[in-house]
Amino acid sequence: MSLFSRSSSKRDLPPARRRVNVAEWHYLAMLAPLLVFVVVIAIYPLSFSFFISFHDYRLTDPTQTKTFVGIANYLAAASDPVVARALGNTLIFVAGTVILEIGVGLGLALLLAAETPLMTVIRSFLLIPMAIPPLVVGLVWKSLYNADFGVIPYYLKQLGISVGHGPLGEPATAMAALILVDLWQWSPLLMVIFLAGLKSLPREPFEAAVVDGASRWGTFVNLTLPMLQPVFLVGLLLRTMQSFKVFDIVYATTAGGPGSATTVLNFHIYTVGMTFFDMGYAAALANILFVVVAVLAAIYVAVLQRQQI
Amino acid sequence: MNANQVSRRLTMAIATLSLIVGGCVPATTQAPPATEAPQASPTSAQPYAGVKLTLASMTDQYIAGFRYLIPKFQEETGIEVTLDELGYTDLYQKLTADFVGQTANYDLMTVDIVWSGEFAANQYTHPLDDFMARDSAALKMDDIMPVAWTLGEWEGKHWAYPLAGYANVLNYRKDVLAAAGIEPPKTQEELLAAAQALTNPDGSMYGIVMLGAKGSAVAQDYMVWVQQEGGTILDADGKPALNTAENVQILEYFGELFKYNPPGATDYWWDQRETAFRSGQAAMMEGWSIARAGYEDPAISSVVGKVDITFAPVKSGVDAKYGFGGWGIGINADSDQQKKEAAWEFIKWLTSPEIQKEWMLHDGAPIRRSTLTDPELVAKFPWLPTLLTSFENGDGDYRPRIPQYSIIQDALGTAVNGYLVGEMTAQDALDAAQAQVEAALK
Amino acid sequence: MRTSRLEKVLLNVAVLLVIAFFMLPVFWLLTTAFKYGRDAFAIPPRWLFFEFTLDNFKNVLETTRVDRFLLNSVIISAGATLLSLLLGVPAGYAVSRARTRLLNGSAYFFLLLLMVPPIAMLIPFYLIMRDLDLLGTYRAVIILDTVFDASFVVWMMRSYFLDVPQEMEEAALVDGASHFQSFRQVALPIAMPGVVASALYCVIFSWNDFLFALLLTSPATKTMPLGILASFSAAQIDWARMAVLCLFAIAPAVVVSLFLNRYFVQGLTMGATK
Repeated sequence: MSLFSRSSSKRDLPPARRRVNVAEWHYLAMLAPLLVFVVVIAIYPLSFSFFISFHDYRLTDPTQTKTFVGIANYLAAASDPVVARALGNTLIFVAGTVILEIGVGLGLALLLAAETPLMTVIRSFLLIPMAIPPLVVGLVWKSLYNADFGVIPYYLKQLGISVGHGPLGEPATAMAALILVDLWQWSPLLMVIFLAGLKSLPREPFEAAVVDGASRWGTFVNLTLPMLQPVFLVGLLLRTMQSFKVFDIVYATTAGGPGSATTVLNFHIYTVGMTFFDMGYAAALANILFVVVAVLAAIYVAVLQRQQI
Repeated sequence: MNANQVSRRLTMAIATLSLIVGGCVPATTQAPPATEAPQASPTSAQPYAGVKLTLASMTDQYIAGFRYLIPKFQEETGIEVTLDELGYTDLYQKLTADFVGQTANYDLMTVDIVWSGEFAANQYTHPLDDFMARDSAALKMDDIMPVAWTLGEWEGKHWAYPLAGYANVLNYRKDVLAAAGIEPPKTQEELLAAAQALTNPDGSMYGIVMLGAKGSAVAQDYMVWVQQEGGTILDADGKPALNTAENVQILEYFGELFKYNPPGATDYWWDQRETAFRSGQAAMMEGWSIARAGYEDPAISSVVGKVDITFAPVKSGVDAKYGFGGWGIGINADSDQQKKEAAWEFIKWLTSPEIQKEWMLHDGAPIRRSTLTDPELVAKFPWLPTLLTSFENGDGDYRPRIPQYSIIQDALGTAVNGYLVGEMTAQDALDAAQAQVEAALK
Repeated sequence: MRTSRLEKVLLNVAVLLVIAFFMLPVFWLLTTAFKYGRDAFAIPPRWLFFEFTLDNFKNVLETTRVDRFLLNSVIISAGATLLSLLLGVPAGYAVSRARTRLLNGSAYFFLLLLMVPPIAMLIPFYLIMRDLDLLGTYRAVIILDTVFDASFVVWMMRSYFLDVPQEMEEAALVDGASHFQSFRQVALPIAMPGVVASALYCVIFSWNDFLFALLLTSPATKTMPLGILASFSAAQIDWARMAVLCLFAIAPAVVVSLFLNRYFVQGLTMGATK
């Protein structure tokens, strides 16, 4: 009781304050089921992962010994050039995919917003890329990109563009090619998010703008975009977090190659954990990745919420 | 319909459905056709009737053999085997999870030759030596090709039983070679010369196609060439020695061969290499013998009738040894005793000479001498004699089956690919790999 | 506002380009499913005129329990989605409206959950499910998927609810409605497009998941992605088979999205009747 009010008796409070207190309890009731559910299920794995990063633990060790090593895993990560490269690649990938997908997603939402049967059908078909498991998407694109019998290089060669080892095989283009694959699969998701946002917007401000003679572009920049801010934040945030965790398409297309051009951190974690079964080091890397994402997310939230009124 | 009604109906629907689906699906959460009581009861003829086993199998070509033979096994013994088909990486992960978690979801599993040491060291599978000693008469073990025992043997014990033997052979287009007047290469030197001669500058034909993709693909291909060039990646004490001068030279030779590959080969996994050969883009390809039958299948091959195989060439002066690989079949160490016995029945049955013939006729791969020399089979698969000789001189250890194999494979996989795409010199690449392996094995 | 002729043409071209880009790989899958394996990668590529065959479909249907995989995928996706919505939508509302730091700050807890690479939690999850004797059941995967899906739903719905003007709810409260009723009868209908979008996301995420399904399902509860991945052997990928399985996996997604699209329209008209 004392968490929410200073007075022990509800009757003494002015009506508004009383309503606020009751409200908070109702909100708690609505929040509690999920909170309990998540905490019960996830608390052990989360704390285990944190705990194990300070130990040396090989999954396949028959005795399953966990030796405490303090921050040795973290120090090893800091001095490992592969980790540094992986982190750099990850940041490039995230920046590329998020920026492009937000742009393309918004564009698609605007382009296909009409409620005609045709648009409805087109939008439904655009959801197909998301329905395909990312691993399969990677394999399909790997075939399409194949330098020798893939469809894309075939047409590129017709246009006179040399492809060398192929878009995924050339260190210079591999990352870009990978970003395109991710773009293909996930832009429609952003389209859905923005579309839902656009359709939830109230009509009055727009009607008023028309009456005031505002231009379409002006309305868009000064009215639509700001009102979509919460949606932007969500789209940006969630896509960023997903992008940091990218794994399947890297695994299917390049396995982190050529060389280490597309080795992203989550993929490296997988290699360490599932190929070497060095769970302590993998957990440490996972925590590092987590911190990077958390910091970035905090920045997003701070910047965008400050802009909100 | 107004907002209230929509909202109310939606809530009701969500609540009802989630109750049904989320919470109360007890009846269908377990395997539906399974019943608790055994289907049949044991008899003296069928002592294990009614036992249920689960087999995890790789989806290599021999899976067709499993699909065909399992119902026959059930008829004969009353033992029910459920087949779970898995791809390479999921197989490895599911098996590891099953072993580490000691959940015994799988009683039988296909075991890649390179996992022998790892499974032995961690005692994942049940050592079969007692079973083998007990039933040695029925097993006719001298008929099994000696090299085939590497499919599960480690340090004197058997952790898996031979299931499917593959020989590394050289596949080549007899039409293309004949047109260019070239004999099938017998040595690595001849191989390089042939690859060069058969590569057309306009890209319509490449001399040879190999595996270059980062990871297990390029690592295993490189290891094949190390063996063929007479080198080794382990030193005299069995410790990894990746960056010897000899291995650096071999890596450079490997890179030289890549010049006569289709440009995309630096990114090729097995399936792409197969596609390149099957679609007629490359004149030669080293690969596992099990793929040979596929070239005669018009549904998947554009080179029907144009392919022949010969021994994988070694460097002149090097002892003729041919890469051997394949799969064993193991029994889960955590399964209960009755299931282990039943599983052993399956293994005995499957690997018996009579059933091996059926196995071969349904896309299986051989392990027995009798199978490789059977007149009917040789008539159908004329390359069996080549396989026989390859097996007789087979080397199952060119990819060290040591417990730390995956670490070596990963290190080489990154280094060799890095060299092929020009990221580092051969020496630097192998130095990096050696450093990585030493750090991981500390 | 009028759109000029030129604008109309440009927009149509844009739509065509969009369709071409997004449908190219799908179309490739479609044609590959009906081609013989040897033609899958024929050069030059044959888009329209190729040897048609139904053998791949026959082969897949004879050797794989596609119906079982689809059913399992549907059960798990539906279960996870419904559970996530049931838990997540009210929670999203609560964190959007709550004034206390503790309550609206708990949203960040869910955000944190979404930031953890799943790989780090894989083995502990497996061990929990083993100890709870839930390995191989639908519930195990549904529960795990819900943990992540619901966290996503909370964040999605939080932003949509923030967009719902509070005046309407204030009015309802003054009229004597409880907070819960205000939620259900006022806020929820307006934010319905958001609910639909969240539902779509949950369905997609659970449908495509292969990591959790890989570790937690048994052969009887195997889902479509695992079925597709079985075409992946060390020596070759059976493209024809994979293409056929992918088509089976895609069809329900298209159906679901067509179905859900109607609720988009509902939401639109809801907003207009304020």
